[in-house]
Amino acid sequence: MAIITKSYEPTFWDRLYFPALIKGLMVTLRYFFKRKVTIQYPDEKYVPPDGYRGLHRLNKYPDGRIRCVACEMCSAACPADCIYIVPGPAPWEGGKERYPVKFDIDLLKCIFCGFCEMACPEEAIELTEIYDFSAYSREDLLIDREGLLEVYELTKNQNYYSRTDKSKKPAT
Amino acid sequence: MPLLKIDDKEIQVESGTTILETAIASGIEIPYYCYHPALEVVGSCRMCLVQVEGMSKLQVSCNTFIGEVHPDRKVNGKYDMVVYTQNELVVKERKNILEFLLLNHPLDCPVCDQAGECYLQDYSFKFGNAHSRFEEEKRVRPNEYLGSQIVINHNRCILCSRCVRFTQEISGTSELFVEARGYNSKIAALEDKPLDNLLAGNVADICPVGALLSTDYIHKNRIWNLEQKPSICQDCSVGCNVDVFSQQDQIFRLTARENQDVNGYFMCDIGRYGFHRFEKIERISHPMVRNGKSFNVLDWDEAIKKTADLIEKSKEKTAGIVSPFHTNESNYLLGLLMKETLGYLPPITGEEITFPTKFRISADRSPNLRGVNDICGDLVKDFTSIIKTRDIRGLYILDDGVDRKLDDSWKDILAKMDFVIVQSYAMTELAKSAHIVLPGLAPFEREGTITNDKGRIQWLRPSLATKGDSKPDWEILMLVRNALHKESEYFADLGEVIKKMGDQFPNYSGISLFKIGTQGMALT
Repeated sequence: MAIITKSYEPTFWDRLYFPALIKGLMVTLRYFFKRKVTIQYPDEKYVPPDGYRGLHRLNKYPDGRIRCVACEMCSAACPADCIYIVPGPAPWEGGKERYPVKFDIDLLKCIFCGFCEMACPEEAIELTEIYDFSAYSREDLLIDREGLLEVYELTKNQNYYSRTDKSKKPAT
Repeated sequence: MPLLKIDDKEIQVESGTTILETAIASGIEIPYYCYHPALEVVGSCRMCLVQVEGMSKLQVSCNTFIGEVHPDRKVNGKYDMVVYTQNELVVKERKNILEFLLLNHPLDCPVCDQAGECYLQDYSFKFGNAHSRFEEEKRVRPNEYLGSQIVINHNRCILCSRCVRFTQEISGTSELFVEARGYNSKIAALEDKPLDNLLAGNVADICPVGALLSTDYIHKNRIWNLEQKPSICQDCSVGCNVDVFSQQDQIFRLTARENQDVNGYFMCDIGRYGFHRFEKIERISHPMVRNGKSFNVLDWDEAIKKTADLIEKSKEKTAGIVSPFHTNESNYLLGLLMKETLGYLPPITGEEITFPTKFRISADRSPNLRGVNDICGDLVKDFTSIIKTRDIRGLYILDDGVDRKLDDSWKDILAKMDFVIVQSYAMTELAKSAHIVLPGLAPFEREGTITNDKGRIQWLRPSLATKGDSKPDWEILMLVRNALHKESEYFADLGEVIKKMGDQFPNYSGISLFKIGTQGMALT
């Protein structure tokens, strides 16, 4: 035996429908005069908030040396197993004696969790605000060491989208 | 026998053993750095301090011996010694010792190759303080080469002196010593005698921290990426037990594995760096048949059929040539296949070297010459002259991929033959002159048993995956034999070959891979 329970019994006022329609149009009208939230992408770029986890970068020291010492903490911490590192003795005198000969990140595997930047003891790997990277082939989404250093050059001084100076912002 | 109580555990031990030895044997953890079972006890690291009831100060457990006491003086009326390894005093003292050891130790685990197998790292994590109270500048010294293969990072050294004792006691060469005193002391090599003996690589193995490093492995990989597999060194007939560390079919290093009946705790540098010669080989990955000057690729069924046809056509005028680098099983099956196994490929020889602790490097630099002589019966040593006296039209060569320079007499013989079948994994000179090439497995891919020169049979286990289309050598030989003689048995695995081998040779009977295990067994 089925029991039909009615949670709502429409009244006469409800059955008219016009009051509800007008009520809904009032919301539309209210937003019509408010500030627009739609962004005209791609003419206009969305600027992610601080701490957004996008494309990776490899940081450098001011003198051009790579900060990374190829300790492979990031690849050990990576839950997606997308970081491949081949270490080697560093070519420069002084500083750390080890550096990455090869540093590949498979961006298709990466889940952008940010564990790599948390694991990094040298603050070498960081996630940037860049979100609009795409390619025509899987191979193109395998970013190598040179690519990661290029991302650093693009994002070190200013926000990639808003072009605001990063140094003026409080450190997060 | 004295009755000992360590924490809550009652243990009966032989009189004269130390507390640390007893603890290690019964699974109680006492941290230590300078103690090594093969070396003299010095008690310099102070890490193994324990409290012994009735003694006013903490004792180093590596140098405190257990003995029977007079019945009136036993603790609680029954124990000869009561030891505490976990109480408050010991835990506090360990923290202090670690703080001292870490005073000048850099925080460079990310760049240190020992990280992951470092005792200092493990013990700091387990027993040490989270923070250092040392606010002054750390002492920084540059790296130095102690020998051509060994680098020392003085900053990381904790002066346990294991390496110094090793050169004094095991290699007997005494190149290393502790220079200067106190704060300034450091490990140094004699100026006119660098650390270049044939056991030098062990120094990097026994270093409990990342101070001594082998230039061969430095900055190559992290230890947790590597897969560790037990194996046997194949560079001389001693057959040292080794561990192979590999990642994705590439070997990164070999370290010695303990086996008191063969090599103790150590291995020589010839074997340690010997794996590099397999990196440069031109690998054969498919069966091939000669077509003029080049080779055509075949599939396995065809290759086996062609081989069997050739052998059949020659009407038992084919001779087999075995190799002292191959396993007993492969050599045995070639013996079964051929009516005549004539000889073996020229063995590689070197200088016989013996160290003070009886560690030796054999003059015979092939791993299984004894096994070949045991299994293949009447082999002729002087193959090149004997073959002329017999009517041999074809050769089946079990090649081992060692790049030997063949002399003219060998080349003559190869040229005279109607056909030469070579089973090899590398494109050696022999393989280049072959009519059919069958791809076998490389040294660290093979499985089987090998017999060392003292008559100890050991299980050679595969450490790498097989590459390409190659098959295990014993399987190829079995398939050829099955194709030749329809009634011959099919071996499903290596164990059946060993069983059959045991039926024929009484001193190899009753052997199984399970019985051989990791430590091998002596032949009767």
